[in-house]
Amino acid sequence: MKITVDRDACIGAGQCALVAGAVFDQDDEGLVVLLNVSPGEDMHTFVHKAAKLCPASAIAVED
Amino acid sequence: MEQTSAAQCPMHEVRRIPNDGTPLCPSPTFAIWREEGSATPLEYSDGHQGLIINRYELAKMILEDKRFSQTPARMPAHHGEELTAQYGLSSGSDLDLGNVLGLDGEQHARIRRTILNRYSVRSARGYEADMKAIVAQQLKHLMAQPTPVDLTKHYAQPISAAGHVRVLGIPEQFRQEYSQLFVGESTTDEKVEFIRRVIAVKKDCLAEDVLSDLLRSDLLVPEIEGLSLSLFVSGRDSVAYMIATCMTALLNNPDQLKALRDDPTLIMGGMEEFMRVGAMFLTLFPRTATEDLELGGVRIAAGQSVSVSPVAANHDPAQFPDPDKFDLSRDAFGHVGFGHGIHGCVGQQVARVEIREGVMQLIQGIPSLYLVHAEQNEPGPFAHPVATYEAGEVIVGWN
Repeated sequence: MKITVDRDACIGAGQCALVAGAVFDQDDEGLVVLLNVSPGEDMHTFVHKAAKLCPASAIAVED
Repeated sequence: MEQTSAAQCPMHEVRRIPNDGTPLCPSPTFAIWREEGSATPLEYSDGHQGLIINRYELAKMILEDKRFSQTPARMPAHHGEELTAQYGLSSGSDLDLGNVLGLDGEQHARIRRTILNRYSVRSARGYEADMKAIVAQQLKHLMAQPTPVDLTKHYAQPISAAGHVRVLGIPEQFRQEYSQLFVGESTTDEKVEFIRRVIAVKKDCLAEDVLSDLLRSDLLVPEIEGLSLSLFVSGRDSVAYMIATCMTALLNNPDQLKALRDDPTLIMGGMEEFMRVGAMFLTLFPRTATEDLELGGVRIAAGQSVSVSPVAANHDPAQFPDPDKFDLSRDAFGHVGFGHGIHGCVGQQVARVEIREGVMQLIQGIPSLYLVHAEQNEPGPFAHPVATYEAGEVIVGWN
């Protein structure tokens, strides 16, 4: 899996950090921080969920 | 207000928001409207006509679409006045510059940007210890009351006020007055005058909180005051409402209450189910289309008012199978109980911490808790023109 995040699109909603806190966090501006570009299989479902929940479509996931 | 009935012909009858539902048991009218179409003509309380959005997918599309405006001034004059009264806005004053809910475009982004940090998931984690302590203290107060007792008044409301004071960074000496003005009743002028006094003191004791960030930012004075008014008011009643609603839902459903007591980790996902079934907004703050557009097969005219219904969308079986079933173990992420998009509830991560703490400490602290009466279990009035449920009394007892 390879994840990319678009900080320009990000609106700081925090849904990614909420459902996949091991992979996504928010910085001092509330914008997305990618903690792990290629997380292990145990996180894959949560990463897909985060991408789906993002209101700004700021998360792209390549399986 | 008239109640619309299922038997009425959709082409000829005026539809108003049904008033026969309760927070935990929505009106059957929403399901009927949802089956008829994803958008339904709606008459607002001032008589003008718009649309109410009942399906999940279109609801999210509308809330993500940049072609809608939040500005109350776009609505018919009377409607704008009602919004002013309901939301404590100072219509036409420069405090509007800071009213994040009523702004569009660059001004909206500028205002919202200043507060994202203190309401992030990371910041919310940082408040957990303080919220635990706030809730623990309030639980002690509740348990010292003679029973039967209203947990909305003696538990939910005070927790919500203390939570706001903490996150906003309102200095200690203003705590009681904050409760009097914002849990109790007050005029917009009284609220604004209070905010000015708080800011005057806060300027000399900046710390790590929302007010301090505002005062350190490049926002102008009316923007700071207007935004503060929004933040002091908004979300406080909603946290109180949710604690009361979650407790009512659990006490109405002993199997769910037992499941949560037996496995407290259920609260993380369960919080989303609480927000799904207990959404406070029958309709969100109305949007106005800024141009003719078509979304999800629905044609919307420029200038038309559009109200998304979180209650309806959260019960859309296309998104949530068996939607009327309250089930803490289901995956309810993606509900629109906090709205969605750039105007989605900015405080939601903090709200989650407060509500989780409020619910868990209460159900674990009082094992024999039982419900005597909840006003929420009967249809009651809701606010206009943004239709929201109220917490109501939740009378409980214990052995």
